Amino acid sequence: MLKRLYRWVDLRIGAGEIVEKELTGYLLPRNINEWYSLGSVLLVIFVLQIVTGMLLMVYYVPDADKAFKSVTFIMNEVPYGWLIRLCHAVGSNMMVAVLILHMLSTLVMGSYKSPRELNWLTGFILLTLVQGISLTGYLAPWSQLSFWATTVATNSANAIPVIGPDLVEFLRGGKLVGAPTLGRFFALHVSVLPVVITALIGAHLFILKRTGISTPPFGASETDKPWRTDSYHYQSHPGGIPFFPNYALQDLTSICIYFAIFLAVVFFAPNLPFTPDAFVPADPFKTPAHIKPEWYFLANYQILKIFPSELLGLSVQAIAMTFLALLPLIDRSPERHPMRRPLFLICTVAGILLWIGLTVWGHFS
Amino acid sequence: MMIKASMPTALPLIPVGALLLAALAILQPTQATCADQPETVCIQCHASLPDRLGAPVNLWRNSIHAENGISCNSCHGGDPKHAAEAMSPSRGFIGVPSEADVPAFCGRCHPGVQKDFLASAHGMALGKGGPTCVACHGSHQVLKASLDLINEKSCTRCHSFERAKTIRDAMQQTEEHIEGIERRIRGFQATGVDTERLGKGLFAVRNRFHTLFHEVNVGRVKSESTQINAELAKLDSDLKVIEDTRAKRKIAGAVAVSCMLLIALLVHLLRKTFK
Repeated sequence: MLKRLYRWVDLRIGAGEIVEKELTGYLLPRNINEWYSLGSVLLVIFVLQIVTGMLLMVYYVPDADKAFKSVTFIMNEVPYGWLIRLCHAVGSNMMVAVLILHMLSTLVMGSYKSPRELNWLTGFILLTLVQGISLTGYLAPWSQLSFWATTVATNSANAIPVIGPDLVEFLRGGKLVGAPTLGRFFALHVSVLPVVITALIGAHLFILKRTGISTPPFGASETDKPWRTDSYHYQSHPGGIPFFPNYALQDLTSICIYFAIFLAVVFFAPNLPFTPDAFVPADPFKTPAHIKPEWYFLANYQILKIFPSELLGLSVQAIAMTFLALLPLIDRSPERHPMRRPLFLICTVAGILLWIGLTVWGHFS
Repeated sequence: MMIKASMPTALPLIPVGALLLAALAILQPTQATCADQPETVCIQCHASLPDRLGAPVNLWRNSIHAENGISCNSCHGGDPKHAAEAMSPSRGFIGVPSEADVPAFCGRCHPGVQKDFLASAHGMALGKGGPTCVACHGSHQVLKASLDLINEKSCTRCHSFERAKTIRDAMQQTEEHIEGIERRIRGFQATGVDTERLGKGLFAVRNRFHTLFHEVNVGRVKSESTQINAELAKLDSDLKVIEDTRAKRKIAGAVAVSCMLLIALLVHLLRKTFK
């Protein structure tokens, strides 16, 4: 019966050809490793965020007077509402964390180099957009934590010369964070940013398909041929392993391991992304002390505190971000093995340690 | 030729995940605490004054009033923002009340307690050598109303401790019960549980219990305590329902996590067969 159905579909849309080309005939380097599966894990996380976000929208009310109560209602009255909300909140943190790991593995394996500059750039933009969607979603519960964290975050834009104050007012929809801020952040969070992120993921995958997957620099490979700049060509891996079933099973393994970690947080440490202030309604007249941004913004937060002026702090961050975004254009050596790139390795390890150090400092400062 | 991958299994992702989790645990957002109260002109001025005029400031800093943001002007009136008008009667400055006026002075914010006090043996002795609110609660270092205020040192200033001890012992268990329930409610509130109904319920029971604090009739204290404990038992059972639900969620979570790890292992083994 199934075979007949498949035959029926195949006759009409050539399903067999697609399967051959995209799954069983899609060959990957034989020495491909587990870190390559983080992209698939990220896709699953993004889909889960979309699904849980849509379910939350059934009951969530984006109104400053009703938002907090609607989230409380979701957490306490809606069947499995607590699970959906926690999956969404924990998932947003996990998405940033896995995205950072994905970028780190790309960095260490030199997969950002020619001809994959556009892949790196779209990935880097995706990281900033994911941070943006997390920031805009942070305000949604309209709690003390979300209200004051948004106040601090939007206030940073004040340091930008000339347009700073106007930009802050534009972001907030007024002089202070209030109902208009919630309205515009909600619109960005549920309509603009998801669409832009989806489009960029599409572009990221399209570029990946057109360029071909990179070969890991570890171990010799018969498919490891240097890329030439004279004409476009797809980097194929003849003699490689098929995506399906071989690497699809690896993807599935990584996804299951991710879900094990994710569900462990959701069920056993559900308050990891929250503080008690996250369950107190926003009060514009009561400023809690020591409000800190989310963990992935702590380094940025600490940099602003270290430098004598916020403008200097912002400039340093802007330079660092630009350097990272344009890294494939700066680092043009074809060598990809990290151990044969000592300067790169030292800079990368120092950069990671600096980021971790600033993050921990930001947390305890 | 088959080339061995540098990391042949998916298992290296587990320590990475664990590391990530540990980082998230360490770096979870810092808990925000109540902001310091802005200093009023009363404190700015009196803090630098010697002896009688400066002492109340430090006493107040350790009081339950300071803890809850109740400053000098809340009791003594006046304008806390303008030094020149801080002690002006036209801005409602009252100053120090006479001994007989103390219950009315405190009763502006605690009318129920004032009524209970005036109806008690202590209150009926007001103006005839009996104690006022400040005798037990302090004047500036105002202490939180608790059973600790009924103690031998304090009570024996005026009479024997025997009856007071009987009353305190009868109320001790109820007090501990209330504090225990309050801690549990606060814990649940900090994790997103809607505790509004439970909080209001406890507030009502606590208020009823506090009406006994000025009661010196041992029989009434005992019978009221029994009824209050019955109401607390209802709150207890409501909290138990929440705790049971949470325990069930953890079991479901353990099953879900185990299933995922098992599937990961099976799929990993299946992948190996394709090599």
